[in-house]
Amino acid sequence: MITLQFFGFVLVGFIVYWVLPKQYYRNIWLSLISLIYLYLLDKNAPVIAFTLSIFSYLIASAIEWSQNRKVVWHKAGVIGIILVLVFFKYLGFISTAFSSLISDFPKFPVDKLLLPLGLSYITFKHISFLTDVYWGLTKKGNFIQFLSYSSLFTIFLAGPIERYEWFLPQVEVNEQKLKTDFIEEGFERIVYGIFKKAVIADWIGYFIKDMWLGSNQNNVFFGVVALMGYSIQIYMDFSGYSDIAIGSSRLFGLKIMENFNYPYLQPNISQFWRSWHISLSDWIRDYLFFPLSKLSSNKIWTIFFVPVIAMGLCGFWHGPAWHFIFWGMWHGIGLSIYQVWNNIKRKNKGLAEISKQLWFNYAAVFSTFIFVTIGWLWFR
Amino acid sequence: MESKLIEFIKKDILEDSEINIEPATKLISSGIIDSFSLVLLQTFIKKEFGKKILAPRITAESFNSVTQMIEVINRF
Repeated sequence: MITLQFFGFVLVGFIVYWVLPKQYYRNIWLSLISLIYLYLLDKNAPVIAFTLSIFSYLIASAIEWSQNRKVVWHKAGVIGIILVLVFFKYLGFISTAFSSLISDFPKFPVDKLLLPLGLSYITFKHISFLTDVYWGLTKKGNFIQFLSYSSLFTIFLAGPIERYEWFLPQVEVNEQKLKTDFIEEGFERIVYGIFKKAVIADWIGYFIKDMWLGSNQNNVFFGVVALMGYSIQIYMDFSGYSDIAIGSSRLFGLKIMENFNYPYLQPNISQFWRSWHISLSDWIRDYLFFPLSKLSSNKIWTIFFVPVIAMGLCGFWHGPAWHFIFWGMWHGIGLSIYQVWNNIKRKNKGLAEISKQLWFNYAAVFSTFIFVTIGWLWFR
Repeated sequence: MESKLIEFIKKDILEDSEINIEPATKLISSGIIDSFSLVLLQTFIKKEFGKKILAPRITAESFNSVTQMIEVINRF
């Protein structure tokens, strides 16, 4: 993302965008440069983005028009999108996992299928779009408005997973004028993001790179430093990307949702997930956690299984590998323990008082950081 | 509505806890209830008041106090 090509597209895109007289033309332009940009990175990406957009838009139209089959259209749409994701991203993993259990199971040639760029993000955007249209939270708008949302190159590769509900009103406006705020806020975030990514994250990566290798692997001290370093590196790297994405979008007058809010300063794992990759954790909460929780009122289900399954799937979304699933489940277990702790605290007045003290809060922040940092062992 | 919500939070979420809850009491940001309890509140609101509040509208920010909950419920 930090390439001359990307910033070239942002600059040219920005100039032409504000020269165009009407929002309708601006939306066409935004869609067009997004698809061209994606084409230059991966020839399959714009094909998938465009085809999926047509599919989702047609389904959304059917949901809006249908009187008594809304739920059928919604389910068909969501299943269709999930199938595309499974086909490109998980088929190889699934066939390998099954063939290790069943000897005759056909092994799918993984290397023959290349995952189109940004597919994981676009599928989540499309599922939330269809669900929000189904729930009546948003209108579908016109196709160009939806295409500009679904293919928007500034947020296509690494999020944030913006909601259409918030995006649509921004591309519906007429004759919006270029404001100096857009330029100031946009450039500030871009510079901030580049600094976090290219200076802090990359330098930390450079220093800890050797610690992961060779003889250092058995040295506990180097191991701890490397893991702590990685923890900071991944935060700076990812939040830097988000800053660049948010800042670049701002230049087009678009306000994209925030994705990070000091996650390493949070006193528990629940608040960590409300501050880390917020657009993803909100998505998991709205479209996975809530529906899963309502399947049963059994406490073991809601306290243990729901967080572990939801976060396990969240891990699986990051990549088709067991270590991502374990990383997600680690966080799910953390969320379960946190709920149990809350239950204990409510019944124990003394414990509740202690937890209000300042030193306890510092200890909680530190423990949460350590818990998250240990989790990165699986993620890396 | 206000008293029913407070009663539900005290009895079913906090399980007869002695914590005093006022309509304006910050529930989630102060750690009195955690965001996992929001699912219970969603089910309760639907059952008790017949209003289906959608998940994206039930956030730690929008449901932080009973007063805020009522504002959201009234919008549905």
